[in-house]
Amino acid sequence: MNTKATSVPTGVRRISAGRIVKYAAIALALFWSLAPVYWMLATSFKTELEATRIDPTPIPVEPTLANYIGLGGQSLPFFAFFFNSVISCLATAIIAVIIATPAAYSLSRARFRLRGPISYSVLLFRMLPLVVMLAPLYLLLLNARLLDSLAGLVVGFTTFGLPFAVWMMKSFIDAVPIEVEEAARIDGYPRWQILLRVVTPLILPGLLTTGTFVFMEAWNNLIYPITFMTTMDKQTLPAALVLTFTGQFKTDWGGMMAASTVTTVPLMIAFFAVQRSMVRGLTSGAVAGA
Amino acid sequence: MTAAAAQRSTKAAPARKNAERVPWIDWMVLPTVGVLAVVIGYPVIYTLVLSTTKYNMLDMVPPRYIGGGNYEHLISDPIFWTSLRNTVVYTFGSVIVSSLLGLALALLTESLTGWRFRSVRALLLTPWAVPFVVVAFLFRYMYLQNGGVINAVLLDVGLIDKPVLWLNNSALALPAIMAANIWAMMPFFFLLLSAALAAIPNEVIESARIDKAGTWSMVFHIKLPFLKSALFISSLLMIISNFNDFAKIWAMTQGGPGYSTTTLVIYVYWLAFENFDFGYASAIGVVWLVLLLVFALVYLRAIRMNP
Repeated sequence: MNTKATSVPTGVRRISAGRIVKYAAIALALFWSLAPVYWMLATSFKTELEATRIDPTPIPVEPTLANYIGLGGQSLPFFAFFFNSVISCLATAIIAVIIATPAAYSLSRARFRLRGPISYSVLLFRMLPLVVMLAPLYLLLLNARLLDSLAGLVVGFTTFGLPFAVWMMKSFIDAVPIEVEEAARIDGYPRWQILLRVVTPLILPGLLTTGTFVFMEAWNNLIYPITFMTTMDKQTLPAALVLTFTGQFKTDWGGMMAASTVTTVPLMIAFFAVQRSMVRGLTSGAVAGA
Repeated sequence: MTAAAAQRSTKAAPARKNAERVPWIDWMVLPTVGVLAVVIGYPVIYTLVLSTTKYNMLDMVPPRYIGGGNYEHLISDPIFWTSLRNTVVYTFGSVIVSSLLGLALALLTESLTGWRFRSVRALLLTPWAVPFVVVAFLFRYMYLQNGGVINAVLLDVGLIDKPVLWLNNSALALPAIMAANIWAMMPFFFLLLSAALAAIPNEVIESARIDKAGTWSMVFHIKLPFLKSALFISSLLMIISNFNDFAKIWAMTQGGPGYSTTTLVIYVYWLAFENFDFGYASAIGVVWLVLLLVFALVYLRAIRMNP
């Protein structure tokens, strides 16, 4: 993959100023990317007093777990927030992938007349500003009595999750060689068996990647939960962070950073779990997609 | 990219020829169409309708048709124009800076191999896995006047002589949010461009090397042309998602101080859900939708013209 550069014979010239500058730049980039994350972790172990010192301490002087323990405490139902987020985002990811995959297969392989317009509208839907749909969606959920419910939230998340999933699954299915299916067809297998036994295993990594992406997008979403959820206990984790920690007078930054860390962990796990197939999914979808 | 596309079309062609028609494969698209019609089609049409009405939820009266009234109001609404300008600055500023940084990093890390490349890549991708709301709070904390690490470091180094109120200053607030946004977005460009770089055929690089192309001419004449379409498409995706960015701005400044960080999303949200002026909010949404569509069409056309 990256053999090009090393295939050049290394001479004295290679250990040059240019090389030092290059490594310094990479080191700087690593610092820029990681320092804020480190700062969040470090602060989450600081006492309230230490977190707001005028001269910040790089390493917690008296590390404490109080901020994390405080999250499980009396005033705020953090477990409920966490649970709400996981359930609504997971449900969105699963539903989106289940509905999107057959559609993606159809758009990738079938040749019906509306195929073009439908693929094009799905792409357009992907671009819609969520806030434009917010008011009608709010009224829709109000009439369906789904406001302030996780089901309503999932409906909201579907507005961006589904078009995205169709588009991404289509790029994964496009990458499956048609010959594989044809060979099975010549062997006389019925079409539905080809779908289940041949195609499905091949697109499994794609399903996982797409699902994770939808999950991440839903996890990142703030505008739907703060609009559709009116009971505090039913909020998602990111929305609860915004609604609870922005006190008018002072913010408990240690607790805030502990809560932030807890909000980040599920996303990090999901992200790094699919990192490898993500490169493929995104590049085939985003690079070759248009 | 073009090679891949060509390959795909030659693969698709025989399928079209000898595919026996299996109607239910066509119908598999229906669940998606149905769901999208309800959750997107209906709201979009309803927005179009609402935009021609005077409708404030608080008035407790049903929407009243006023034709283009909302659109006339919009033209003379200075906050609309401010938020449009902020949206453009925020979106394009963030995307341009983070794509250039991502490009530079992709080129810099290209010569790394094996575990070194993998670990550097994984570490550089970390900000991508931080939820937007957390990005917002993290930077808000780091920007603090008292106890903010950014001010503390800048004071120590001597770049400033008193703490700067980053988010409370109407000239600095938008750039400060953009810095956080760039931090969160750069990994996306880095990842896509790294992958596109790795996809450049080896022969191209080798033959350029035999022609004794220097580092810079290699980058400008060989690599950049190959990266162009990846760069275009990834910028388009990020421009669209930045147009819609609500979480970072709302959690950092809620659009303030004044209207200095009010973007179209924030303004529409504020109109609809703090003022409950659904009619006017919808009109702004429609205008914005049209702008976005025009932009996407022009952009895609531009890509198709130089493949």
